[in-house]
Amino acid sequence: MTLAAFLTDATVCIGCKACEVACKEWNEVPEDGFVWSGLSYDNTKALGASTWRHVMFLEQPAVAGPQQVDMQDPFRWIFLSDVCKHCGNAGCLEACPTGAIVRTNVGSVLVQSDVCNGCGYCVVSCPFGVVDKRHPDGRAFKCTFCYDRQSAGMMPACAKACPTQSIRFGELSELREHGHARVAELQQRGYSDARMYDPEETSVGGVHAMFVILGQPEAYNLPPAPEVPTIYLKSAWTSALVSALVLIAIVFAAFLL
Amino acid sequence: MAENNVSQNSRRARASEERLEQIRREALETGRVASGAGADSSATVSSIIGAESYYNLAVLKEPTWTWEVPLYFFVGGIAGVSSVIALAAQLFHGPAPLIRVALWMALGGASICPVFLISDLGRPSRFLNMLRVFKWRSPMSMGTWILVTFSGCSFMALAGNELLYFGYANELVTTLRWAGEFSAAITGLLLASYTGVLVGATAIPVWNQHRHLLPAHFLTSGLGGSAAILELFGFLIPATQMIGFAAAGIETLVGFVLELFRGVVEAPLHHGKSGWTMRISGTLEGPVALVVRLLWGGTSTGRHAAAICFLVGALCSRYAWIWAGRASARDPKALFALQHAAIEAREGRVPSRA
Amino acid sequence: MPGLGTTFGRGGATTAPSDLLNSDAILIMGSNMAENHPVGFQWVIDAKEKGTHVLHVDPRFSRTSAVANTWVPLRAGSDILFLGGLINHILQNELDFREYVVHYTNASVIIPESFQDTEDLGGVFSGWDPVTKKYDTSSWLYEGVKQAENETGGAKAGATDGGHAQHGVDSRTDLSTYTQDLTLQHPRCVYQLMKKHFARYTPEMIERYCGVSKEAFLNVANIYCGASGPEKTGAICYALGWTQHSSGVQIIRTAAMMQLLLGNMGRPGGGILALRGHASIQGSTDIPTLFDSLPGYLNMPKFDASSKTLASFIAANKPRTGWWNNFDKYIVSTLKAFYGDAATKENDFGFNWLPRLTGDHSHQAYWLDMMDGKMDGLFVMGQNPAVAGPNSGMERRALGKLKWMVVREMVETETASFWYDSPEVHRGELKPENIGTEVFLLPAAGHVEKDGTFTNTQRLLQWREKAVDPPGDARSENWFIYHLWRRLIEKAKRDPRPRNAGLLALTMNYTIEGERREPVAEEILEELNGWTVADHKLVSGFGELKADGSTACGCWIYSGVFPSEGRNRANERAPKDEYGHGWGWAWPSDRRVIYNRASAKPDGSPWSERKKLVWWDEAAKKWTGKDVPDFTATKPPTYVPPPGAEGDAALAGDKPYILHADGMGWLWVPVGLNDGPLPAHYEPLESPIVNPMYPDRQANPVGLNRARPGNEYASSPDPKFPYVLTTYRLTEHHTAGGMSRTLSHLAELQPELFCEISLELAKELQIEHGEWVTLVTKRGAIEAHALSTSRIQPLQIGGKTVHQIGVPFHWGYSGLVKGDIGNDLIAISEEPNVRIMETKGLLCNLLVGRRVDNAQKLEELQSPAAESARA
Repeated sequence: MTLAAFLTDATVCIGCKACEVACKEWNEVPEDGFVWSGLSYDNTKALGASTWRHVMFLEQPAVAGPQQVDMQDPFRWIFLSDVCKHCGNAGCLEACPTGAIVRTNVGSVLVQSDVCNGCGYCVVSCPFGVVDKRHPDGRAFKCTFCYDRQSAGMMPACAKACPTQSIRFGELSELREHGHARVAELQQRGYSDARMYDPEETSVGGVHAMFVILGQPEAYNLPPAPEVPTIYLKSAWTSALVSALVLIAIVFAAFLL
Repeated sequence: MAENNVSQNSRRARASEERLEQIRREALETGRVASGAGADSSATVSSIIGAESYYNLAVLKEPTWTWEVPLYFFVGGIAGVSSVIALAAQLFHGPAPLIRVALWMALGGASICPVFLISDLGRPSRFLNMLRVFKWRSPMSMGTWILVTFSGCSFMALAGNELLYFGYANELVTTLRWAGEFSAAITGLLLASYTGVLVGATAIPVWNQHRHLLPAHFLTSGLGGSAAILELFGFLIPATQMIGFAAAGIETLVGFVLELFRGVVEAPLHHGKSGWTMRISGTLEGPVALVVRLLWGGTSTGRHAAAICFLVGALCSRYAWIWAGRASARDPKALFALQHAAIEAREGRVPSRA
Repeated sequence: MPGLGTTFGRGGATTAPSDLLNSDAILIMGSNMAENHPVGFQWVIDAKEKGTHVLHVDPRFSRTSAVANTWVPLRAGSDILFLGGLINHILQNELDFREYVVHYTNASVIIPESFQDTEDLGGVFSGWDPVTKKYDTSSWLYEGVKQAENETGGAKAGATDGGHAQHGVDSRTDLSTYTQDLTLQHPRCVYQLMKKHFARYTPEMIERYCGVSKEAFLNVANIYCGASGPEKTGAICYALGWTQHSSGVQIIRTAAMMQLLLGNMGRPGGGILALRGHASIQGSTDIPTLFDSLPGYLNMPKFDASSKTLASFIAANKPRTGWWNNFDKYIVSTLKAFYGDAATKENDFGFNWLPRLTGDHSHQAYWLDMMDGKMDGLFVMGQNPAVAGPNSGMERRALGKLKWMVVREMVETETASFWYDSPEVHRGELKPENIGTEVFLLPAAGHVEKDGTFTNTQRLLQWREKAVDPPGDARSENWFIYHLWRRLIEKAKRDPRPRNAGLLALTMNYTIEGERREPVAEEILEELNGWTVADHKLVSGFGELKADGSTACGCWIYSGVFPSEGRNRANERAPKDEYGHGWGWAWPSDRRVIYNRASAKPDGSPWSERKKLVWWDEAAKKWTGKDVPDFTATKPPTYVPPPGAEGDAALAGDKPYILHADGMGWLWVPVGLNDGPLPAHYEPLESPIVNPMYPDRQANPVGLNRARPGNEYASSPDPKFPYVLTTYRLTEHHTAGGMSRTLSHLAELQPELFCEISLELAKELQIEHGEWVTLVTKRGAIEAHALSTSRIQPLQIGGKTVHQIGVPFHWGYSGLVKGDIGNDLIAISEEPNVRIMETKGLLCNLLVGRRVDNAQKLEELQSPAAESARA
């Protein structure tokens, strides 16, 4: 099974939001509110049920990089398009009680909207805060990885629309390799804080949407060590078992004595 | 504007290392950077440096559950434990009326619970889709099946009991009742405790950090709540008194433990709407119920009062935990702090901030 | 357009965005290319990844700046200072590509002694008439060049009422009789005059008045000038940050001159990418919606002696030498296309049916006429002047003076709804019952609902096939014009007056197809391509056009797009080389990089292997290479024109700028511009400082500020309006917002109007980030959220701190998201060559709070009693 993947590179993103628009157009995603945030040029703010690509705008002092900016204080403006990570071990998929969320034959995580009954458990199980319930529709929605397009041999709408190839679509291991090579190249060019975001070492088991970023993942609201919540099951059930035994003891004692 | 170069309008094409260091230090210490021009960037959100989070926006999504869900936790817990009480009373010759009421509470609760759950669904008409899969790795899937099974078992127990009550005694009915009572007790325990697992095995920091506590806490509230209702029905017997004491006592301990840890993850338990509700409800179902029972547990009024305190506290506590979950989801710093601690523990290093 | 047109010969972009891959340095200035041309910008990113150094000079740190290698701030309106400084840097340090300059430009041409520079006359050139406020440009001609007797009885030589067509053409002069000093030492040669003219544009000057530190400026200069010579090239990208100024043409001229000095023109990775606004704006000047141009940039006849007959018109517009010598072929073929069989030799091919210009008929001029009640009706198609027009408040008020207006649009724009929904109506200043304008709102088809071409910034025609039928009654422009014409001629046939003859003579012989009776668009393209009249056979290019009426061609520069039956080259989609030949078709003749003769040495061999583009193939005896040669294919590099030769044959084999009468790139513009042969720095019409170059000449002396009640100006400087305002675009919205504020996917990306201010100004005025503020100029006031950011930097100008404020202009009062109209702040003014308004570098004030709360202060600031600007 070839695993489809995204590699999104902040260093060639121009913040044009074509990805956000292309995604909405193709997938007929409704509007997500007409509210001005004042947060640089980001009025979208986060991924959600009705935003499946979200471009971030980081205005910050430049702590690294060869860019020459004639300002009193070092400055840089970074753009990055966020998307569902399509985790190797996906919290939403594990949590879904109807089987609506499935792993596709390209390795992506898909919410089947005709099955979802809107229980909301995937929402609290995503370590990246991606999937959410759409109101008033009631169901949960997130990036489909344009599964319909992929099934027809096309690339996802966002990758297609991106003018600078900041969003690359391809095979997972190839893109992973490309990403690492890119980071090495950037470091050579003086971007000493360039890095890959691809949490392979945590229980999430690597993501199929990887990122090349400058600086810390926290700056992009990317969790530095995301975990799939199923790792908490064992201890929680153990506690339940022990507590249950204690309870039985109390109740029996109450009636015995 | 502070100028420290020769020509009046000079700017540096690149930053000096000193200035960069200054900025890094300021950022780490205060979370903000005053620009060299002297402007106070607390007025300027767009200049927040990105090292801490993305404009302090939430990383995670808040739980979407509405008022029916905490109510379900409460009612389900009571229903589940009622069947354990029924079994214990059955085994150790407790009063038959109590058994009867407990079994009705079990089935009654089991019947209302689906109404709450279905009503909370985004697409209620599709509730049957819950039965498409059995996923032991999903507490919600497990919960669906537990509820269904418990309903069946408690019906079996109640049917058996009612038949016996109305004089249709025979071996089959008795077996039916015993089987029902045993299976209802086991599934009832699952019903009353899985909700704690459901809440604890999520991405929400304040929830998953209390995943050991939550199943115990929810079970206890089911325990105390069940006994409290029986007391309100008039079963002022030593068993319910003892259970009442035990439940209030455990809750007092839980409340005490919660007050001990004051990290950024625990903030929703001590601050804001969730914090206040947590404290008030915890106090009611813990120390207050305990003290009332201690001081006035001799009288029926006193016992009723203690019961009510416990019930109110337990119900409000469910809401407090949901609200705490919402507040926790909204706080990116709590999530990052948790993960930094995990990275430090795993790799023995502090994650760099630069 | 005349900036490029007079310097090189044609007014359009000289290269394609994809050629930026070949640049060693890219200077983006007067442009926010990443935000406004995101798709074209991919080549800048790709070039940067290959090692090209991207420089961005701009008043704001925009999304382009974020990905540039170097960003340098600039005071809005000080571009000529900066660019002049770069030219001075080149000249003082002899960094010019000498061989290129000597052979391919008029640097060596000698100018008469009678010429006097702005340096001599305190800010004006010789020929200035303070009464008419115009120049007699004859003293700018080359030495020895004769001017023909002015028998046409029209305006003085060189003064043009419209500058969009036939740049640098004045048939009354014969520029081929110049004298030169190829050593460039003669004190009156262009090179030395330039040196003198730009001598005071020093790095100190730039630091003090542009707000750029000396080091930063010199860094830019070194990087960009380093990308020059046989082995390297640099490209310049500009857009409305240069054009929308009262000296816009001269800003572009300065850049164009720099590109000639550095030898970047006509070479791979060089050139000037004039980034035109929307998808087909190039097309809308090629087939012009401009008042002063006929298709293919042929001059419009003026109401003077030169247009009495076709012969006199041709004499006035057909120079003896250079490519425009073919003017007669093009005008006659155009007339044949217009009037078909009705156009005969006997009736001058219908020349007298063409309307004549009686003056300034530009947007600004006729809108003021409209305001004065002199206009009856207006068709508004594909434009939204209620939001996009300068001094849009006045433009909206003017609409109410019309008797009727037809708006053809896809949505009900603010222009269509002005009479009941404009701010003037809501504030009670105007009442709908008192507005007599009858408004017809007709639905228009969208771009996927009709066949046709787009011509984009790189002169590329790309055919579009209709994907769906337009809904309901919506129809294409072709349909509308065709059926309007059909109905009008029905009326005209019954009206015997001679004035209808031209209307009746128009040919619209298109096949009409389908239920909706749509003219076949491909036939229109064929008409633009041209055919021989006798057999209706399509011509293969403008080389086949004749002046005897045997050919018809709707637009000579498009000739070749449809060269044979069924071959629509605009619809070809098989690119076969790095220049994209085989994908679409670029005018002229599919030449992708124009002036590409200059990519070879005078002897015809490439300047270098690395930068070869076209070269002379001695064996095949023709020019060859990676692009279609922008040169007569068989003219050898050694060609010397025989005496008395005319047209292109009068140009030698080493003269790449074939549209010019002398075949050279014009560092010096002897004819064709109204405001100077060289650019001089003037301040914008409102400025925070007195002109540091010429304190007695504050703004462009030839520009028109059209000051009048309702269109007033602040003084320069003005204590009531201390901040410099610039307006601009965002990626998320499209011009006046008709197509973006009505679409939820775009509207939600930028839902509300905001203005960008520096952190320092926010602190000074105690403005909280995001709160409502009111921006006010002499013309209008709007409210916006304050977005305070490091991306706007206060600048030290003339020893004091000057704050700049930026405001995007996309909002209006209709659509899913609404907001105040940015262009209410701008004045109606006219740059002297192209009549464009100044939208950057104005003066404004900023008040905390909403507009309504600031009513009193606004009255104080805008009262006419305050001083108005020096003209």
